[in-house]
Amino acid sequence: MAAKRQVPYMSALVACNGGCREGKDGQSCSYGCVACSLCVAACPFSAITINENGVAEVDESKCTACGRCVEACPQQVIHLHEAGNFIAVKCSNRDKGVDARKQCDVSCIGCGICEKTCTAAAIHVVENCAVIEEKNCLSCGMCAVKCPRHAIYDLRGVLTPVR
Amino acid sequence: MASFHVNGKLVTPSKNQKLLRFLRDELHLFSVKDGCSEGACGACTVIIEGETVKACVPDTDSLDGKNIITVEGLTDWESQVFTYAYGEAGAVQCGFCIPGMVMCTKALLDKNPNPSDEEIRYALRNNYCRCTGYVKIIAAVKLAAKIMGDGVIPAKRTEDWKMGSSVHRIDVEEKVLGYGKYPDDYVLDGMLQGAVLRSKYPRARVLSIDTSAAKALEGVVAVFTAEDIPGENKVGHLKHDQYSLIPVGGLTHYLGDGIALIAAETAEIAEKARKLIKVEYEVLTPVRNIEEAAAADAPKVFDEEKDNVCSYKHISRGNADEAIKNAKHVISHHFETPWTEHGFLEPECAVAFIDEDEDVFVYSTDQSAHQTLHECRILLGTDKIKVQNALVGGGFGGKEDMTVQHLAAMITYLTRRPVKLKLSRAESLLVHPKRHHFEMDFTMGCDENGKILGVKAKVASDTGAFMSLGGPVLERACTHAAGPYNYQNFDIEGTAYYTNNPPAGAFRGFGVTQTCFATETLLNLMADKVGITPWEIRYINAIRPGQVLPNGQIVDESTGLVETLEAIKEDYDEAVAAGKPVGIGCAMKNAGVGVGIPDTGRVKLIVEDDEKLHIYAGASCIGQGLGTVLVQIVGEETGLAADKIVYERSNTWIALDSGTTSGSRQTLITGEACMRACRELMKELNAGKTLAEVKGQVFYGEYLAKTDPLGADVPNPVSHVAYGYATQMCILDPETGKIEKMVAAHDVGKAVNPISCEGQIEGGVVMSMGFALTERYPIVDCKPVDKFGSLGLFRAHELPEIKAIVIDKPGLKVAGGAIGIGEITSIPTAPAIADAYHRYDGEERYELPLKNTPYERKW
Ligand code: FES
Ligand code: FES
Repeated sequence: MAAKRQVPYMSALVACNGGCREGKDGQSCSYGCVACSLCVAACPFSAITINENGVAEVDESKCTACGRCVEACPQQVIHLHEAGNFIAVKCSNRDKGVDARKQCDVSCIGCGICEKTCTAAAIHVVENCAVIEEKNCLSCGMCAVKCPRHAIYDLRGVLTPVR
Repeated sequence: MASFHVNGKLVTPSKNQKLLRFLRDELHLFSVKDGCSEGACGACTVIIEGETVKACVPDTDSLDGKNIITVEGLTDWESQVFTYAYGEAGAVQCGFCIPGMVMCTKALLDKNPNPSDEEIRYALRNNYCRCTGYVKIIAAVKLAAKIMGDGVIPAKRTEDWKMGSSVHRIDVEEKVLGYGKYPDDYVLDGMLQGAVLRSKYPRARVLSIDTSAAKALEGVVAVFTAEDIPGENKVGHLKHDQYSLIPVGGLTHYLGDGIALIAAETAEIAEKARKLIKVEYEVLTPVRNIEEAAAADAPKVFDEEKDNVCSYKHISRGNADEAIKNAKHVISHHFETPWTEHGFLEPECAVAFIDEDEDVFVYSTDQSAHQTLHECRILLGTDKIKVQNALVGGGFGGKEDMTVQHLAAMITYLTRRPVKLKLSRAESLLVHPKRHHFEMDFTMGCDENGKILGVKAKVASDTGAFMSLGGPVLERACTHAAGPYNYQNFDIEGTAYYTNNPPAGAFRGFGVTQTCFATETLLNLMADKVGITPWEIRYINAIRPGQVLPNGQIVDESTGLVETLEAIKEDYDEAVAAGKPVGIGCAMKNAGVGVGIPDTGRVKLIVEDDEKLHIYAGASCIGQGLGTVLVQIVGEETGLAADKIVYERSNTWIALDSGTTSGSRQTLITGEACMRACRELMKELNAGKTLAEVKGQVFYGEYLAKTDPLGADVPNPVSHVAYGYATQMCILDPETGKIEKMVAAHDVGKAVNPISCEGQIEGGVVMSMGFALTERYPIVDCKPVDKFGSLGLFRAHELPEIKAIVIDKPGLKVAGGAIGIGEITSIPTAPAIADAYHRYDGEERYELPLKNTPYERKW
């Protein structure tokens, strides 16, 4: 992805993986990407598309971290991160675990396994959702491997599939 | 079951497991190091599908169809390029991080043949190196990129193996290609795995231990308790107060105290057995800090001591009270420095077995094979022990004490079977002695020109659960608290307290890192008061050859503090003129144990059957490069070519005890002994004999560094045979508040290998940038709570520019003038950085790590 570019560089990241598409018991997630495409329209670099899961996805090699999508997103699921930090939480669900579990296949339920696993004290559950402090993160991916909900990803696709 | 390619070969693991375990245990690819097994260190880095991955993270089942490369799978060309580049750049020290770094190098260059410096740092940022400060590793990657592009490997900088020559270290290839063996890389037939059950409470009385269920578990070979110890339970460097296993009825001293020792066929069984041991405790109130230890009604850490005072020192010369009373300017402050963890990349590990002489043979990673031998003898009550140093993956003082060696020896002695006993990273963080937390009150008096008149201080240290080297550390903290200055009124009182915290002992700088922070900070404040610059106040007071130190010693011609100040002057003036916040600190550090304690170097030179000259010194190379130094000394003294000289790692049955790798002493003390042995050899060679003709003959050199004890009744005691001096400077970026540049000028007498010497400086500076800004080792109710990845060690992409200046100043009459460099590199860094931040935002800081800097960690 980044071979041609000077690292480090920032990129936008959509913290949602679109698992709510099958919402059980009629419940659905109110925090995730709604595929409104406002970000797609706002992006001057055509770096964002709506992927097969029905959520926005950023092509990090095109993104310049201008931040327009972050402003445009009505759901506030897009944030800027250091592209070289390839371990990322792709969920923004802040509901309690029981509810979050029903709302989505791949939601963070705030179980805290990642927090206990992390050697670098880089990931914490904040308001029922895991958040990575990228300055501390050593990009080992132990949290991604251990996450029972598959809400944490290796964006390179090595430790976890990219979905 | 998943199948995947490793170095081009299709493999299928026997069961689902972490990739690291599979690569090491089943494929025996030992370049893939286990430094933590928790994703922190990076020593296990491999390449999967072109991307670097820490092998301790993925499960093998998740890797179906993937392509994996380890260092063993490099092409010949790559192996040659990386070996050359890392050697030429001086990037290899202990070597434990190096295979991982090599993997990062390859993965980067495969994608990006012309990386910028920034991109290189970024590619290395998830891998820790505790030795080099990354500077030379970054240079190695750059060089490798160039060579890959050019397609030819150039000639080495020099092949002249003399003193003063920056030759490639002798251990570059085995460390770059990962075939050099650390204890964990030995796998013996029928080898058991050891494990230790540790105390559940920092302070408790052990009422009973029931090992029956553990013993009954299939695959458990033995479970030992204190009763089974053949010799004496308590070991220790000086004072024997370190319990190997806590007996029934005994007190526990900290959470790392062993209760039972397990030997089982596999690590999993040992782990299971550990959980089956039942221990009853009477839980007691722990002693959590200095204040609690010193309280009148404090619970006692040791049954056998009368109170919690481990060591007390009072050092006084002249009349400090009087001098301060008459001083124009007086400043007093309270200072505190934190516990610090060594964070060497290789966790403690020992392998023991019965050798052909029926001796217990121990492969150990330690700072003195002879010390290990000595303490194993105490525990086992037998002399039938041999110790051989394997490669040592960093020590920094943290591998001076017994952690696994003696217990591994015990298992083998009692079961007659080979065993490996290895600490997990979490155990390592808990068990080995740390850098002491110090609380210090200092007062300094100066005259109107900034001349120091007197210093008075009172310090206390938390030496934790046993003495280790807490006494000598306190002593060095006190003797060096005066600083490298010329004044004669000095008074310091120091007390080291036992607590139920993890033990504290030796750590690069040996107490001086702590008191130097106080003295140098006061000096910076004093400069402001007097109205001169911090540079000027040091230049005024700097000790010069022939003058008398506050400890009474007259310093010799090699004394080069002034030269180090002059060396940074240009950078200093330039930065000040540019309006940048600049901080400065000076330091001195002894080379050699000193203060009247017998300190002997011993070296044997023997021409073996291969008709090469083998160097046997009972002195551990812990990564600093002692082997290379000794080969260069032999090259210098004998004129032999390097390929005729073989350095033998320390052992206890051929090599004689040449002292612990501590106190920056090996280059000087063992170096001088080596020179003397060379002179013996030269008598024969000069008489016309060839190496072949002196085969089997032993040429022996010994050097006793003679010093006077503290308080010796002489006007000018010689406390140490030599001191190194240094000035370090920190320049901040006025915009970001981050460090822009560190300049470190060191007087080393004679640099045997200048590029190695620079490597020591860079490594020491970066280590203490951590001490000053980011590192922590928080202890809550006697329990260390951080993991390896959250200790706050500096990472490659966080580095500022580091400029190392090596200054040769002749004058020392031994070892060709070479003064040790190991520790002093870490000493003046923290006060220099504190001063820079003071100038940046006006805030005075008396505590480490410094608060309110951009380096402060969130979470
Ligand atoms: S052993 Fe894998 S990161 Fe330390
Ligand atoms: S050389 Fe990097 S940790 Fe020792």
